[in-house]
Amino acid sequence: MNDFLFTQILTELEDAVGRENCSVKEIDKVTHSVDYFWLSRMWADRGRRMPEADFVVSPKDATETSKVLKIANYYKIPVTTWGGGGGTQGGAIPLCGGILLDTKRMNKIYEVNTESMYIECGAGAIYKHVEWAANEKGYATMHYPSSLTCSTVGGFLAHRGIGVVSTKYGKIDDMVLQMEVVLPNGDIINTSSAPKHAAGPDLNQIFIGSEGTLGIITKAQIRIYVQPEVRRFRGFLFKDMHSAFVASREILQKFKPSVMRLYNEAETASLIKKIVGVEKPGAFMNIAYEGVKEIVDVEEKILLETFAKYGAEDLGSEYGEKWWKEKITFFYPGHMMDLPQMFGTMDTIAPYDKIEKIYYAMKEAIETNFPQAKFIAHFSHWYEWGSMIYDRFIIDEKDVPKDPVEAMRLHNAIWNLGVRTAIANGGVVNDHHGVGMKLGRLMKEQYGPAMQVFEGIKKSLDPNGIMNPFKLGL
Amino acid sequence: MNISEKSKGIIDSCRFCWMCRHICPIGNATGLERNTARARALGASLVVRGATKLKEISDNIYECTLCGACTNNCMTGWDPKVFIQELKTEIVLNGVAPDYIMGLIEKYQTTGNVYGVLACACLNDLVNNDSDVLFFAGQDAILKTPESVKNSIALLNKAGVKVSFGLDQDSSAAWWFLTGKTAETLSVATKTAEKLNQFKTVVVYDPVDYKLFLHEYKEWGIDITAKVIGFNEYLLSLIENGSLKVKNNGKAYSLQDNYAYARELDDTQTGRKLISKVGVVKDMLLIGKEANLAGQLIMAEYMPNVMTEVALNRWQNAINMDCKTIVTENPAEYLALKATTPDGYQVLSVEEMILENI
Repeated sequence: MNDFLFTQILTELEDAVGRENCSVKEIDKVTHSVDYFWLSRMWADRGRRMPEADFVVSPKDATETSKVLKIANYYKIPVTTWGGGGGTQGGAIPLCGGILLDTKRMNKIYEVNTESMYIECGAGAIYKHVEWAANEKGYATMHYPSSLTCSTVGGFLAHRGIGVVSTKYGKIDDMVLQMEVVLPNGDIINTSSAPKHAAGPDLNQIFIGSEGTLGIITKAQIRIYVQPEVRRFRGFLFKDMHSAFVASREILQKFKPSVMRLYNEAETASLIKKIVGVEKPGAFMNIAYEGVKEIVDVEEKILLETFAKYGAEDLGSEYGEKWWKEKITFFYPGHMMDLPQMFGTMDTIAPYDKIEKIYYAMKEAIETNFPQAKFIAHFSHWYEWGSMIYDRFIIDEKDVPKDPVEAMRLHNAIWNLGVRTAIANGGVVNDHHGVGMKLGRLMKEQYGPAMQVFEGIKKSLDPNGIMNPFKLGL
Repeated sequence: MNISEKSKGIIDSCRFCWMCRHICPIGNATGLERNTARARALGASLVVRGATKLKEISDNIYECTLCGACTNNCMTGWDPKVFIQELKTEIVLNGVAPDYIMGLIEKYQTTGNVYGVLACACLNDLVNNDSDVLFFAGQDAILKTPESVKNSIALLNKAGVKVSFGLDQDSSAAWWFLTGKTAETLSVATKTAEKLNQFKTVVVYDPVDYKLFLHEYKEWGIDITAKVIGFNEYLLSLIENGSLKVKNNGKAYSLQDNYAYARELDDTQTGRKLISKVGVVKDMLLIGKEANLAGQLIMAEYMPNVMTEVALNRWQNAINMDCKTIVTENPAEYLALKATTPDGYQVLSVEEMILENI
């Protein structure tokens, strides 16, 4: 783009959001070029610059967002939406330059509605701030992912995020009532005023998980919950993964714990040993159950009886409480995998009749084809019908190519194999991190001809293809 | 770039970590991605790797208050303040400091302070050197909140404590903030230590100065032989030993924990004990070590609008919890909150709170 046209567009963007909220400074472009995606981090670590936006804009609301999108559509400039930048899939990286739209000025808490039990807030609000707003009134959001403090409401919605108490309270897509969305052409729409209805397809669910490819979520009503009277923890050690699966499936037919996390033997012997202190070999499982005390008493009895039937060793409450206290510690540098290691989380989800097979198939595929990789896994979100695998590969520095191009080649080859193995065995391309650029190429393999539904919606809403190009396989 | 291995280690740990984003008072006020410890570290890491220039990140380095909320939040114990302060020294020594920072440095060199103002004549009568107890009000209080100095000394006098006081009380906090550990910072600190050491006891009003005396001076090898005590602690001792008579009116006060007391000096209780002597503690969200900063006077010189937002955010915490009276522990936060007080709310300094209960 020539200087003259660049400056013209800059002045139009400044007019839309205010000069102080539109930047072409290098520091702003750089900080919006690297998210939590391993490839972007590796690239920067090797002293290379990631693709950067030409303009960084921070609108304060849907109206200003609308103005930005109208400008972008007129000049046919790509628009990449950035919430907290804590995504692991490269979804927020402005691959094609253009406009980077940071949502964090849209962080207003509009209302804490304790009658209908929701908080209405800007989509750029950091989720922890929403939690604080709930706490100040004696409530809780019950959305507690490890990225609670980093990520925004819009970011979680755009990527279908999930928190550690999901088994009882649901995923983010269960936690939203209504949303305000700015369409690529600048129109501002609201989804239905209640999330359950028979008024056609669910508009919420069209935009949740759309990763900024169909529009920009600017406001949301997020559910809040009464704080539980009691929250109890119980740690168990299973001799093998199979008995843990069967026991867990049975529990889910009886009641819903809040936390359910099953760690495979390798992760029990590494992360769990290091952070929680479990020394014994086996598969560690942490269960939390909460709510009204009388009900929790009954749930505890059912839990202990059921797990005893499958040979689980009851480790008491100590490890579970320690895990709860340290649940975010896992993700701080020094506790977490980090460069120069190569690593990735290939989370997938499937019904019970497939999940165990997927686990062993992925484990074998990675360990056989990439013997330099360590495979660890836990199962952290459970339903009456199935569960998800949070499986990770880790390669130590000595086996990570120094050449960034070769490093990318190895990284992508592992992902291709791992995710294709999951899909081939009945799993879904991703459970709760999203698709981004990391998995875009695998979406067609996941959906086959069903992909044309997404492509049709995309073409209709975003005919110029400006919204977050090369993400979600669109 | 000439920075320590310690700083490089912190930079490489923080550059891809967002865990402390939510507690940065500046980031929360601006909503800017660059106002995070991770962005500062990422920028610095790219400078270290030759992928960008020091000048490109210099503004962002000066957008940090050094309040340490990120440091306190880090479960691993990384301290972004360390590399930020080293980077400031590099920025200044390499001549790539932003113009507004150079302007403040020049103002200091010309007038003796970054604000370019003279001490209020109203303090002249308080100047004396008659006691072996020095009241160290500090530059911010002397130049910006002279009433606090007068009230504090009056309070001490009521307790029967005569104090020495002078108008030239520069702990070197401004030099430290603007330039990190430079020759000028050390020179001012050394001279100040010599002055302090002429007294038996030094009562330090501003916790930011107090922290500097106890921590940085020690690290810099500058000895203070006088007994140094924080104002809150000293006041509390006077109340507890009966020298200062107060009454408890049952009013609810909410402490604005100053970061230096709470996070750097590990004291989250003395302020609350003082409140308990004259009323009842009513805490808001984000207190103690997690306290949300409310003001920083030097930054208010070059980013006033942002610092107003910082103060307003703190007021929002108070409003949400119906905390009507905020009690501050240092001049910067007192002024910032005072300037933004919502209708129906009130801000008092510690000495004002005690004075209204005598």
